[in-house]
Amino acid sequence: MNPQPRREIFAAGALALLLLVLMPALNAWAPEDSFFYVSNFTINVWGKYLAYGILAISVDLLWGFTGLLSLGQALFFSLGGYMLGMHLMLMIGKLGQYKSDLPDFMVFLGHTFLPTFWRPFYSFGVTALLVFLVPMLLAKGFGYLAFRSRIKGVYFSILTQALTYGASLMFFRNDMLMGGNNGFTDFKFLLGGDMRSAATQRTLYICTGIALLAVYFGCRWLTRTKFGLIQRAIRDSETRVLFSGYSAANYKLFVFVVAAGIAALGGALYVPQVGIINPSEMTPDKSLEAVVWVAVGGRGTLVGPVLGAVVINALKSWATRAIPDMWLILLGSMFLLVVLFLPKGLISVPGLIRDFLQRHRKPASPETPAPTPAPKVSAS
Amino acid sequence: MPLSPAPIPLLLMRLLFAAIAFLLACCAPLAQADAPAEIIAKAVLLDDKSEEQIALIRSGEPSPELLALLTLWKEGGIFLVEGPEGTKIPVTLEDAKDADDKQAARLLLTRQPYLGPDGKPIRLLASDLNAAETDSDLRSAMKSILDLAGLASPDRSARLQAVETLGMEQDPLRLPALRARISKETDSEIQHALKEAVALTELKDADPATVTLACRALGELGSIRSQDALRLLAKDGHPAARTAQDALRKIEQHLQTVNIWGTLFRGLSLGSVLLVAALGLAVTFGLMGVINMAHGEMIAVGAYTTYVVQCIFGPGLELSPFGIHIVLPSMKATGWLYDSYFLFAIPLSFLTAARAGVVLERCVIRFLYRRPLESLLATWGVSLVLQQLFRLTFGANNVQVASPNWLSGHWLINDVSLGWNRVFVIGFAAAIVLGVFLLLARTPLGLLMRAVMQNRTMAACMGVRTERVNLLTFGLGSGLAGLAGAFLSQIGNVGPSLGQSYIVDAFMTVVVGGVGSLFGTIFSALGIGMADQALQQILGNPVLGKILVLVGIILFLQWRPAGLFVTRSRSLDN
Amino acid sequence: MSQKPFLLAAEGVNKSFDGFKAIRDLNFYLEKGELRTVIGPNGAGKTTFLDLITGRTQPDTGKIEFEGTHDLGSMSEHEIYRLGIGRKFQTPTVYTDHTVAENLVLSLAGSRGVFASLFFKLNSEQKDKMEEILKTINLTAHRDRKAGTLAHGQKQWLEIGMLLAQDAKLLLVDEPAAGMTDEETARTGELLLSLAGKHTIVVIEHDMVFVRQISLGRKVTVLHQGSVLCEGPVDSVQADPRVIEVYLGRKHAR
Repeated sequence: MNPQPRREIFAAGALALLLLVLMPALNAWAPEDSFFYVSNFTINVWGKYLAYGILAISVDLLWGFTGLLSLGQALFFSLGGYMLGMHLMLMIGKLGQYKSDLPDFMVFLGHTFLPTFWRPFYSFGVTALLVFLVPMLLAKGFGYLAFRSRIKGVYFSILTQALTYGASLMFFRNDMLMGGNNGFTDFKFLLGGDMRSAATQRTLYICTGIALLAVYFGCRWLTRTKFGLIQRAIRDSETRVLFSGYSAANYKLFVFVVAAGIAALGGALYVPQVGIINPSEMTPDKSLEAVVWVAVGGRGTLVGPVLGAVVINALKSWATRAIPDMWLILLGSMFLLVVLFLPKGLISVPGLIRDFLQRHRKPASPETPAPTPAPKVSAS
Repeated sequence: MPLSPAPIPLLLMRLLFAAIAFLLACCAPLAQADAPAEIIAKAVLLDDKSEEQIALIRSGEPSPELLALLTLWKEGGIFLVEGPEGTKIPVTLEDAKDADDKQAARLLLTRQPYLGPDGKPIRLLASDLNAAETDSDLRSAMKSILDLAGLASPDRSARLQAVETLGMEQDPLRLPALRARISKETDSEIQHALKEAVALTELKDADPATVTLACRALGELGSIRSQDALRLLAKDGHPAARTAQDALRKIEQHLQTVNIWGTLFRGLSLGSVLLVAALGLAVTFGLMGVINMAHGEMIAVGAYTTYVVQCIFGPGLELSPFGIHIVLPSMKATGWLYDSYFLFAIPLSFLTAARAGVVLERCVIRFLYRRPLESLLATWGVSLVLQQLFRLTFGANNVQVASPNWLSGHWLINDVSLGWNRVFVIGFAAAIVLGVFLLLARTPLGLLMRAVMQNRTMAACMGVRTERVNLLTFGLGSGLAGLAGAFLSQIGNVGPSLGQSYIVDAFMTVVVGGVGSLFGTIFSALGIGMADQALQQILGNPVLGKILVLVGIILFLQWRPAGLFVTRSRSLDN
Repeated sequence: MSQKPFLLAAEGVNKSFDGFKAIRDLNFYLEKGELRTVIGPNGAGKTTFLDLITGRTQPDTGKIEFEGTHDLGSMSEHEIYRLGIGRKFQTPTVYTDHTVAENLVLSLAGSRGVFASLFFKLNSEQKDKMEEILKTINLTAHRDRKAGTLAHGQKQWLEIGMLLAQDAKLLLVDEPAAGMTDEETARTGELLLSLAGKHTIVVIEHDMVFVRQISLGRKVTVLHQGSVLCEGPVDSVQADPRVIEVYLGRKHAR
């Protein structure tokens, strides 16, 4: 799949060095007025982008590598976020507006004691476990039902969309005891660190970066095993896979659960950095937005989704301030153009340019393989 | 000189009133000497003497004019202005206000314009004036006159309301009037309400036997309104307590039947809404295999078209998308002409959405026929763009689409309320399903469509212009979405994200029904609609009901993965 | 008849699609080690029969037994495959986006479990086997090419190679010679003949030259309208008036 695996690793390594070491270092030690200083805001924003990158990889693992367009990834992402959010809400302690041990919204709703299912979240260890466990169990249950009855292709998309929609309806409700409409916010402490301090945010940023690297290399390994072969075989011809003796349902279930875990990890890192989680993160549209990142970056690769997540969110940060009215139009049309004219995403642009140049230098090069797509460099 | 009522000496007036009161007491019919305006004008001037005022207003024949003036008075629409020599002159104000918020005045008595000393109409500011006052006794007397008069009102709904109000008052004095009306009334619904009102009033009777009879009658009538009154009786040690309890039980049963029918009706109408929304999708998704995420926006196109047509018939519309100022002309239509806007909006919504669909097919979809997942993504991009375009053109807030008069209102059949707009949606859904069915089954175009959908390559080989058929099919699907929009505008809000609220449901409907099967879509739409409303009724919570429906659908697909109606073919897909 | 256990036995099988009876009361018995050719005009139910055996569709009535113990009617595709039944499809069905070698790796006998696939490594035995298969199917030079870029005949061969890699007990081969040159067809025939005995093979074919090549001295089954019309050596089958009638129309009728 990847023509230059070495170059890919090299590029990833260089980027990791830049993002993981250089940026935090400059944030911590460069003088604030110097050219090299990286502001807390920048660190925070990039932390968000990297968390989105993790989500994007989970989407791509399903869509790009297995052909499963899941519109439920935003659900798993925000479930992970909610799990950590519950811990953070309990860590506020009596510092909330109502000066109660209970989270503010519970006091507001007239509750006098903590519901049982909240109790385990006092412990960070248990929370960290539940961050993965809850979304992965949900994915397992839903995936089992969906794959067992051979729901695939667009039906799977529509069903995951319905699942996400249903879950968001549930989280919007107050009696779910998950903060309802407003969700969780006003976090104070994480593992004893003051969440508003630059040091905590920087640590969170580094953790996100490391998590992204781990996810990247994990998925890289996964997609290169025989499992990866089967994954792509399922994407290309699921029926044929059955006639090679593989239970496509089991493979899909496995990758669906893994992807749910990855998305949840992204969500759990995202929430403490943006400081809020509410049901609007859970809508099918958010899943689709993550799909846009993957499509724009380049699906079926692992760098592509991260690239897409960073580029589009950077663009979003800029556009929602500079041209707020046009942002959705920009996003929509960008997506449309990529799907129509650049199906392999931004990551394929250098290759397309190279092909284009080669063809123009040596018009009748016998070396070039026949079925390369027509160059559409104009879209770059 | 301003015209003023003839200065009648106070004594004379008092005498007159005494005489009238006397006449009224012995032979009321003779008292109809005065014209309504005179009666009211006189009564208004009798400040603080509510007894006399009451006697006066009761003296008049309850003609529509008198009732109208009484209503005006009750609502503070009659004002007293200072005339010459400290006299007070009752006037009313015209509706139209000028730049200073002033209104022209009219004399109550003669209905002539109130002219100033210079012969010009005097304009007054309502807030400066003293309204003719009413105290509580007077107001309740007015109300009872109005209600009693309402019993004879030629307007059916006014009559019904009057009966219901009188019943709830439980005033034994009203019994003769109510009983008298029963024999005259021809409308069965009002008959029913009259009996209910009589029985309800009889509950206050001193004779326990009458009360028992009344309780029984209320039970028989299934009177929901009387529940509170009956509960009071059932509690204390009244001799009729047992009967009251029986009656309550009967009413409870009746209420349940009403609820079941109501739920069925709401389910049917929700099902029809789903059906209308999903039918276009069943065509584009089911027949063509194209996942059009912008389908919801096609619905919104239809709804906004309806809005624009309404504005052109009514007050006109100014839009300024992208800084371009567009003024749509206004027909300033009113009455039946304005109400007929919807008849024009229906075909226009279809055409506009169909046209939008055709453009979408030409520019996007036709490149993606072999890549269904990507058609999903590309059309989602389109849907984002369209939503934002709506927002920029029509504003981020919902716009108001007023239902034409003939769609507001409802039928009440045995306490089950059937809103006309919902009845209309059900009928409409049936009509377009029939239309689509006939189109597909009976026309050459339908034959071509089915041929292309079954085997594109083969159809192309046989000389069918598949491109064109695709275009038309997609246009049809989008047009149907537009029609859905026109109807949804009558029962819900029209805003930029209108489509979003229906798209998930519409997709589920098609999937549950079985992709490619119109019959399946019909059954699943009605099934989901019924299930949703029934669960809502049982759980008493719309959101929980909706979630349960979604869970139910996922479980249902375990049982029938391909939906209700499976379209099998020998060439299984790969 | 029933003393020797059959490898595959179909009894009283019926299958209809929307009222169309694709298979009606079909009885079919196959002994271990046989190379059976199935012929029949279009719509005779040949491919549907293979679909029924491999679990792609389920029979309405009747049962299909494998090795006398497994009821194929209630099993899913991958379970049936794991019993040792391999299938080559009518149109070449290979993993177009995988290389030739990867196609074979996916087909190699061995565990089909998810976790096994995570830690799978080719051992030397398997490598040797792959080399051998590549040589047999004449694709050694193309091992790293994407299967989708192969010529039609090569794809057919690759798919046969995938069957070989699987080490199946029963090979179901649907029109292996379709779209091949005469030379390729002859070589395919040789290959199938060389496998006969080691494996049990069912070949569905139209090309009578090819049929004669592989079925000399063996049994041929003629399917017509979803049931067995006649069975026997190729010469007698070809001379059977009923067979001539269904193939050539009612030339001799009345």
